[in-house]
Amino acid sequence: MSFFPIGLMGKSLDAFAAAENVTADNIANVNTPGASRQIAVLDEAPAIVGSPFASTHVGGTFGDGVVLSSVQRIHQDSYDALFRGASSSQNFFTVQQQQLNAVQSSFGDPNSGVGAQFTAFQTAINQLGAQSGSGSSTSVRQNVIQQAQALTNSLNNAANSVTLQKSQAIGQAGGVVVKVNGILDQIAALNSQIRASTAVGDNPNTFADQRDNLIDQLSQYISTQTSVQPNGSTLVSVNGQALVNDTIAYHLAPPVISQNPNGTPAFVIGFAGDANPAAPQPIPLGSGQLAGYQDLYNNKLTPYGQQLDNFAQSLSSEVNRITQAGYDQNGIAGVGLFAPIVGNMPISASNIQVGITTPSQLPAALATTAAGNLVAGLNSANNTVDTSAQLDNNASLANSPPVAGLGGTLSVKVDGVVQTFAYSTLAGGNSDTIDHFITSFNSKQFGVTASFDPTGQKIVFARDPANIDLVHRAAQQAAGTPTDPTFSISDSNWAAATPSSSLIGVLGANALQNGGGAVVQNSGNAFGANDNGAANAILKLFSANVGVPAIQTTGGSAVAAAGSVTITAPAAGAYANVQVGEILTVDAGTPNQENVVVTAINTVAPGSFTATFTQVHPAGFSISSAQVQTLGQYYGNLITQVGLDGQTANAGVVSQTALASSINTARQSVDGINLDEETQNLIKYQNAYQAAARTINVLDSLLNTVINSLGQ
Amino acid sequence: MRIATSTIYDQQIGTIDNLSSQQAQFGNELSTGKQLNVASDNPTQIAQDLQVRTDIAQGNQTTKNIGDATSQLNTVDGALSTLSDIVQKARSLAIEGSSDAVSPSQRQNLASQVDGLLNEAISVGNTQYGGKYVFAGTNAPTNPPLSGTGSPVSAVTFGGNFATQSEQFSSGQSIPLSVSAQQAFNLRASDGSPDVFQSLVNLRDTLANGSVVDASATQVNTPGTVIAVGPSAPLSTLASPNFAIPVQADSSGNVSINISSAVGAGFTFTFAPATPVQDGPPPTGASVVGQINAQAALTGVTASFNAKTQRLVLSTPSGQPFQISDVPSAGAANTGNFVEAFGLTQQADVVSNLSRQLGDIDHATGALLSARSTVGGNLQTLSSVGGTTSSLIVNNTAVQSSIEDADIAKVVSQFSQTQTALQAAYGTTTRLESKSLFDFLQ
Repeated sequence: MSFFPIGLMGKSLDAFAAAENVTADNIANVNTPGASRQIAVLDEAPAIVGSPFASTHVGGTFGDGVVLSSVQRIHQDSYDALFRGASSSQNFFTVQQQQLNAVQSSFGDPNSGVGAQFTAFQTAINQLGAQSGSGSSTSVRQNVIQQAQALTNSLNNAANSVTLQKSQAIGQAGGVVVKVNGILDQIAALNSQIRASTAVGDNPNTFADQRDNLIDQLSQYISTQTSVQPNGSTLVSVNGQALVNDTIAYHLAPPVISQNPNGTPAFVIGFAGDANPAAPQPIPLGSGQLAGYQDLYNNKLTPYGQQLDNFAQSLSSEVNRITQAGYDQNGIAGVGLFAPIVGNMPISASNIQVGITTPSQLPAALATTAAGNLVAGLNSANNTVDTSAQLDNNASLANSPPVAGLGGTLSVKVDGVVQTFAYSTLAGGNSDTIDHFITSFNSKQFGVTASFDPTGQKIVFARDPANIDLVHRAAQQAAGTPTDPTFSISDSNWAAATPSSSLIGVLGANALQNGGGAVVQNSGNAFGANDNGAANAILKLFSANVGVPAIQTTGGSAVAAAGSVTITAPAAGAYANVQVGEILTVDAGTPNQENVVVTAINTVAPGSFTATFTQVHPAGFSISSAQVQTLGQYYGNLITQVGLDGQTANAGVVSQTALASSINTARQSVDGINLDEETQNLIKYQNAYQAAARTINVLDSLLNTVINSLGQ
Repeated sequence: MRIATSTIYDQQIGTIDNLSSQQAQFGNELSTGKQLNVASDNPTQIAQDLQVRTDIAQGNQTTKNIGDATSQLNTVDGALSTLSDIVQKARSLAIEGSSDAVSPSQRQNLASQVDGLLNEAISVGNTQYGGKYVFAGTNAPTNPPLSGTGSPVSAVTFGGNFATQSEQFSSGQSIPLSVSAQQAFNLRASDGSPDVFQSLVNLRDTLANGSVVDASATQVNTPGTVIAVGPSAPLSTLASPNFAIPVQADSSGNVSINISSAVGAGFTFTFAPATPVQDGPPPTGASVVGQINAQAALTGVTASFNAKTQRLVLSTPSGQPFQISDVPSAGAANTGNFVEAFGLTQQADVVSNLSRQLGDIDHATGALLSARSTVGGNLQTLSSVGGTTSSLIVNNTAVQSSIEDADIAKVVSQFSQTQTALQAAYGTTTRLESKSLFDFLQ
């Protein structure tokens, strides 16, 4: 008998007590985020070999009991990467969901907001258009102004909300950058401690847990990749760029709005200490909240704002073109219904208001010869004109063209631009009958429409801003003349003495030529103020295809050969509204007119755009937005995009949350702490501890026998 | 599989979050009755939804516009109906007065009745709808377009224009909301026939003063041609081929007529075929009109030719009856056809005048009926546009409903499913780990 077994059992008491400590630590950390379970690794103590036990005459060796060889951290690194990827995506979509829902609410569709107000505005115009022939009632005019104000208010609100969300994206990303930098510092500090601990042979389990948990947190904000270095430190990087290398943390700089190479604004996050802080080298953020904010700013909010601006610009440009071509109730040339809030800035969704506050100043009327004495009945006495009958040598006309017919040119001046209409009254010519003249004349889209008034037996020329084409608008842009409500028509064949020698004389419109001036609204032609032609032209506009955004400009450089060509702006900012993917109609009114799709833009002054042309065009060719959609359709597309983005974010949050959660479950199934398991360990080690203690007790009584009872 | 203790709670929280958000979504659908509340609920159909909403709003406005237009047209129709009654009344008064048995004082009485009708007709002309005058055309329709001048009214002036008040629908279709004063009252008729007011003035004056006029019953020219009169050259002569009934000379080669009345001895006029009808404003010249006017002292009759209406008008300012007849020229065996060619009545007196004015009234009535049928046609068009618009609204509303409206039965079922699941999740969570091995530690 010796003291040896007591020492052996004493070690086992130590080992079990230590194992209970590990268990207790596990139980204590059952709710600690990032805590991995640890197990007490119990090993048999090395056997005792050699003196004094070598003399034992039995085979085998005495064991030296149990030792706690290590406290092992159970952790499966491979799950970490999976979880962090899912967590990054989940957070990417979560921040987008929050902000997109806010944007969507501020748009308010379909129950309120821009779409609903646009509908209400159209309805008010519809009502105004129906108030024909009267000084339309003040309340109806007031309603149009109010609905227009509601529309501009909702545009302002939507645009301001987008702007607010943009600044919030920057602000919140800035807050995230601060958190990220804090986490990077902590990881670097932990790396340092882990490295020191590892160097002396310790198992820095707790530090590793903390570090892994911090990297988990980091992955909420930015995509992370990790690799454990031989010295125990972890290299944390984002798409190849180190965030923490050993004990050095590379801080991010707060987000800045810099420019893409083509001059468009871009939300960029670079590293602190970048040589060019205003336009740092962008970090490829991958996923996570920061990338969510970046994507939100660059690919969602900025286009939304741009498209809202496009809508507001086109709405104001098209509606104002009509109201400026009209007369108000006082017979004064109309002004634009929409105006900028800040006068010297171009109209945008946030810079648009209603420029007319007095109902009587709402232009609802257009100049026309329907009443008054600018045109006379073109029939001869007691005759009725058959508008489908040949004009030449027609006895029912007061001034019939001769048998030989007439050929000449009408010069139509609208908005300060003269366009010509070559006519021929010979059989088969474009003006051989009144019907053919009206069809041919109207198809030219001069901005003046001809019609026949069978009651008065006279031709009616009316200003019609709804019947005006890109050719005219390009010419107007080139001439630099403003839209105005008057028009004039003159005939190259005019001879006062013989009305039958000119078409204008045949048509009974002598006064147009005689006056030599424009058709205006005055006492001799007091019609416009009470007509609602302008209101109806606006109503037509709503169902007509228009160019969005409003672009009416010219090519600063030529297209010498077909192919992809970059066109430089004639002046800085001339192409400010040109956007990638937009369809432009170029060289309107020439044989080379074509539609091209913008493939690239460069907004760096003077600006340029690139498109693939199939025709050649001289420098100075006209450029307009192609008229491919209605205003309502354009806004509908914008809302569809907002809705789709919102839906994608909602779906992304649901699916990525589920994914992250299931990966985490799998990860936790390996390294998570289970109380039942720990309770079992607790009981297990307790029982072992009690057994060991009991054994010592027995050994003690054996020794007691030897020491105290022998030899008495 | 090992389950970490925290996983159990995390999973429950996740499940409850999901179920709660689903329940909120279904609850929202149920309380609004709509499955499309924000754009992200159905992005692929939101654009169509906005378009449909616009179409419906426009359709509703168009329906209101049509209602308004219909009311105005009904007002116009009512006015025309009243006018029709007035004209009929005037006609019966004219017939009453045209009897030889009626004494001048009785005619005075009839005249004052006609004067009343005239004023009524003027007020019909100033009929208003919604603050605007329906017959004023498009020129300042907020001012009364018709006003009589003189007392009693001797002429009616029209301050509006003949452009038709009309309403344009969103389809681009324009529908007249009235008829022009020209159509309703035969104002400034292209065939030169007198308007309703002038007819009534003439009728009243004829009844009151017994004034006598003999005018061409219809225009004397062939349609498409003109009998040109002074002062502009060239002047049409009696030989003009433009007469609907060519003037034929008698065997002497000239045309002669005799005009006589109680005023003087009467006079026989002999015209060469080359004599112009009228060479200038009466009474000058050697034309037919000029020669007749030159002998007014003997005949009591003055003449004029109305270029616009292409009619010859003979009248006695004194109100004396007169006769005009074709007579042979000196040396001729037969007569010409002057009276027939110019559409004159041989015996001009109050009775014949009244009967001619009956013709004028009938002509105006014809114009009035045609105006009423125009109004009726427009009402019919409006009703058809209204029908189309209504069915458009119904169709669009159906589309809107299919896009926006929640399938309530389905959502209710989903809502209760979610609610059951949520309650189960609550129950599970509270029971989870209610027992653990710790409970059995001694």
